Amino acid sequence: MGLQDSSQDLSTEMEVDAFRRIFPLRFFERHLSESLRPDGRQLGKARDTIVNLGLVSTADGSALAKIGSTTMLAAIRMEVMTPSTDSPDEGCIALEFHMPPICSPTVRPGRPADAAPVISKRLSDTILSSGMIDLKELCLVSGKAAWMGYLDIYCLDADGALFDAALLSAVAAFSNLQIPVVALNDNGRIVAITGGKDQDNASITEKEAVNKEKRKLTLKNIPFSLTCILHKTYILADPTTEEESIMDTLVTVVLDSSDQMVSFYKSGGTALAYSPAIKSCVELARKRAKEVKQILGEMDID
Amino acid sequence: MAAKPGAATPTYSPKLVGRTRLPIFKDSDLDWSRPDGRGFHQCRPALLQTGAVSSASGSAYAEFGNTKVIVSVFGPRESKKAMVFSDVGRLNCNVSYTTFASPTLGQGTDHKEYSSMLHKALEGVIIMETFPKTTVDVFALVLESGGSDLSVVISCASLALADAGIMMYDLITAVSVSCIGKSLMIDPVTEEEGCEDGSFMMTCMPSRYEITQLTVTGEWTTPNINEAMQLCLDACSKLGEIMRDLLKQAASASEE
Amino acid sequence: MVGLSLGEQHFVKGGIAQDLRTDGRKRLTYRPIYVETGVIPQANGSARVKIGGTDVIASVKAEIGRPSSLQPDKGKVAVFIDCSPTAEPTFGGRGGEELSSELALALQRCLLGGKSGAGAGINLSSLLIKEGKVCWDLYIDGLVISSDGNLLDALGAAIKAALTNTAIPKVNVSAEVADDEQPEIDISDEEYLQFDTSSVPVIVTLTKVGTHYIVDATAEEESQMSSAVSISVNRAGHICGLTKRGGSGLDPSVILDMISVAKHVTENLMSKLDSEISAAEAADDES
Repeated sequence: MGLQDSSQDLSTEMEVDAFRRIFPLRFFERHLSESLRPDGRQLGKARDTIVNLGLVSTADGSALAKIGSTTMLAAIRMEVMTPSTDSPDEGCIALEFHMPPICSPTVRPGRPADAAPVISKRLSDTILSSGMIDLKELCLVSGKAAWMGYLDIYCLDADGALFDAALLSAVAAFSNLQIPVVALNDNGRIVAITGGKDQDNASITEKEAVNKEKRKLTLKNIPFSLTCILHKTYILADPTTEEESIMDTLVTVVLDSSDQMVSFYKSGGTALAYSPAIKSCVELARKRAKEVKQILGEMDID
Repeated sequence: MAAKPGAATPTYSPKLVGRTRLPIFKDSDLDWSRPDGRGFHQCRPALLQTGAVSSASGSAYAEFGNTKVIVSVFGPRESKKAMVFSDVGRLNCNVSYTTFASPTLGQGTDHKEYSSMLHKALEGVIIMETFPKTTVDVFALVLESGGSDLSVVISCASLALADAGIMMYDLITAVSVSCIGKSLMIDPVTEEEGCEDGSFMMTCMPSRYEITQLTVTGEWTTPNINEAMQLCLDACSKLGEIMRDLLKQAASASEE
Repeated sequence: MVGLSLGEQHFVKGGIAQDLRTDGRKRLTYRPIYVETGVIPQANGSARVKIGGTDVIASVKAEIGRPSSLQPDKGKVAVFIDCSPTAEPTFGGRGGEELSSELALALQRCLLGGKSGAGAGINLSSLLIKEGKVCWDLYIDGLVISSDGNLLDALGAAIKAALTNTAIPKVNVSAEVADDEQPEIDISDEEYLQFDTSSVPVIVTLTKVGTHYIVDATAEEESQMSSAVSISVNRAGHICGLTKRGGSGLDPSVILDMISVAKHVTENLMSKLDSEISAAEAADDES
């Protein structure tokens, strides 16, 4: 503990920035003892959250989610596939989470980030197990054709709580998704129809249209997540990259719209999660879900 | 139901049937307007912004019509271990596309050609002597490709470098011109690039009045090249002024 | 890389400034060009070009392929360049990769013209056999055996010669087939089609050393360059491609000046190359 003692003495003499760099843990603990975080937030408070819909014109549905500085861009492109024989009347969602080199100093081109496939897997597990999307809605012709939704989430700026931001952007992108108008042609392939301008498409009779008008997916049981840091007796909601690098026990709680738990994830770390801690995490997540619901609700009116 | 279908599941996007790409206009027809209603010598409105990525040393976002690009600059930071000693700095560039960047291009990938072109455009402007032994990384992500991608990437990268405080001789700006039939069109969109007879891309340092990178493809006559060069130089200097103003604003805003 | 002492550097630069280069040439004089065609019997066409100490081989291989869905009425051409480690030790391993891809890109730019096909050295439509179904894929491979500067010009000349040397078998397409089936094809082994190479441009690289620019720089001179501009010009005198190399900037008027000089130089080079190629072809037929 000699180091900590010496840092105690130094703290009065050193500049704040230097102290923050040299003794990050002491710096944070000083803040935590005052129930405040370096960025001025209270412990249980998440950062400002912004969601924008439909920014990518080349995609069928897209959304940009920003939690603090963490920025995610999600886009969905719909393609047609032949459903598997096990589930002939179900479509499919293929999700991929990307961390391009622009998002963080730790990612270099040619070497994908370690975190990306982990988050990718957790996201697709969460989205499918929450039952938000009824895959049967993606069916076009039973056994013949169904929609495959390619959901790509790009992290544009990584500043902690990547999973929360990615899930939020994914949910928002699904709410923005417009399933294109298509018809079945003579060869049994699905073709697109544009608003009747094209004369070539006149050959497709109206009755063949499988999907007559642009429609939206019905989203039920929307999942909301909150990541918290456990450190000693403190619980910090919505951590930044700096906080994540100093204190390494992360807990992610995913709740659905009716406050049912969808998933709970604790990634090891030095601190142990006792039941009171878990309970308070869930409580924080519940509050956060309400906030996020409101933000998404405002979007849906547009 | 598996989230990731086996790689074997083939999918296709529902394309429009029997439609061939029509030329946007014919040689003799001069009354046509460009797909987005611009004049021949009119650039798309540019939206530029610095400081788009908080974790980078410097970054910029550029939006020219549908072309949307983010560039992050990291460093100067330690060079890769395998690199030998160098008494001038190194520059490392990478350009990649998102999977949804363009409707036809399926896979989002690194763009090797653009990466090396970006490198060549930037190496002459950065004062490498100011960061010996270290590397500056310039990474670009094309969020959406709407034509003239490379020139937008280059201009955006020079803003990001300025934002990162990397020493440069001048800002650099890049502008493309397409030649279709007899007419020259500045800042072409994807549709125009698809049916162009020739393309011309120039990057220059507007204050020093020097061209750092120039590529021409297709068939060009000398008068056409002259005209294209004048157009580009003019547009480059205007774009340079916009970028300079933006940086000044950003600097004064951060002082307050 | 060429290491030059300070004295040698001054000598090279001073010579260029006085219009008398180290090997006795003037600023705008090429080294003698030697062309040999048909050097690789298994390729559809091949040629070897030597310009001074620079030695390159280009080969053309034609394969039956399928046109891309975006351009169903055109064949495909791919250019690959390989810089052999025998030319320079630094080309070993991945060392030559960057230079190779840069050269390939510059050649592609010069040969293929704009997106619409205007100004293309190779008429892609002539490679089509049946629209949307069958076409020729041309694989143009360049190999740098020995490098003494001016690689791009040498490769450009070698590809032009190789294309002249190229004979593509005649193909007969069997009668009507259903829409989504590949038609049967019959490749004739007697009848060959010659390639029209009159529109293939030649490439001239102007290297700027000090305040002057020179053509056909040797490796020694290239090590002293501030920038270089490669310009490809076709028979009509139109510019078909332009690439700038080297970091330092150039004044726009200098570039325009370079373009007009390049045009002038090409006229001589084009006729020189044509006569060399036809002489080489004649020699190849005799043997």
